[in-house]
Amino acid sequence: MAEVPASPGGGCGSHESGGERSPQSNVREQDRYLPIANIGRIMKKGLPANAKIAKEAKDTVQECVSEFISFITSEASDKCQKEKRKTINGDDLVWSLTTLGFEDYIEPLKAYLIRYREMEVCIASPHQ
Amino acid sequence: MRQTGAYSGILSRKTGPHSLPLARIKKIMKKSSDDVKMISGEAPIVFSKACELFIEELTKRAWIIMTNNNMHEKRRSTLQKDDVASAIIATDVFDFLVNLVSSTHDNNCELNDEESHQDIMEDIQNS
Repeated sequence: MAEVPASPGGGCGSHESGGERSPQSNVREQDRYLPIANIGRIMKKGLPANAKIAKEAKDTVQECVSEFISFITSEASDKCQKEKRKTINGDDLVWSLTTLGFEDYIEPLKAYLIRYREMEVCIASPHQ
Repeated sequence: MRQTGAYSGILSRKTGPHSLPLARIKKIMKKSSDDVKMISGEAPIVFSKACELFIEELTKRAWIIMTNNNMHEKRRSTLQKDDVASAIIATDVFDFLVNLVSSTHDNNCELNDEESHQDIMEDIQNS
């Protein structure tokens, strides 16, 4: 399905491309995975300057990231169901990450969200 | 990400200063379970950062293992799939990924001090 994801009230088009997405002729970059170019870039960030990364290694990480998203989301979704809420929000994901052992991510995540929210305040959100 | 230039990216409301495409993240979230109905606007942003941290951790661990494995051999500077697999097997929080790599891990890397990880992998394959 090539439908554009409908964000309620989302202002400008919800196209997933930011202008530099790779063409979707590459089978691995279906909706199931995040773009390999982005993943490769992030992988390189944590390695020495001379490091190279085999394509298969990037492919594997690409699969792992999708699995990671599913894993965390499922847990958050269960929580929402139990609490009779329909919408998974950022706090649910933070809870899920902590529960599943990724508590080390929480601090940098929260700092990131604070910066993002500060930006949002400056720009009037078109929705909600 | 802290530069002023990155702030203007948020105006596009697509990926903005985030390193991963939000709409794609949202799609993957929706596929994870039939129970997933609605996702707040913030959720993909949380994942954008969380996935970045995840990728960094997995990659760094893989690199360390590769470096340890190759101390007695000629150094290689290319991270291979097996290194990623080894990192997954060696790290508890990555247990949920074991199925993804157990069929592809070839035992190619010769573990010196980390033979216990090989045992763990064999256990998983035999179970």
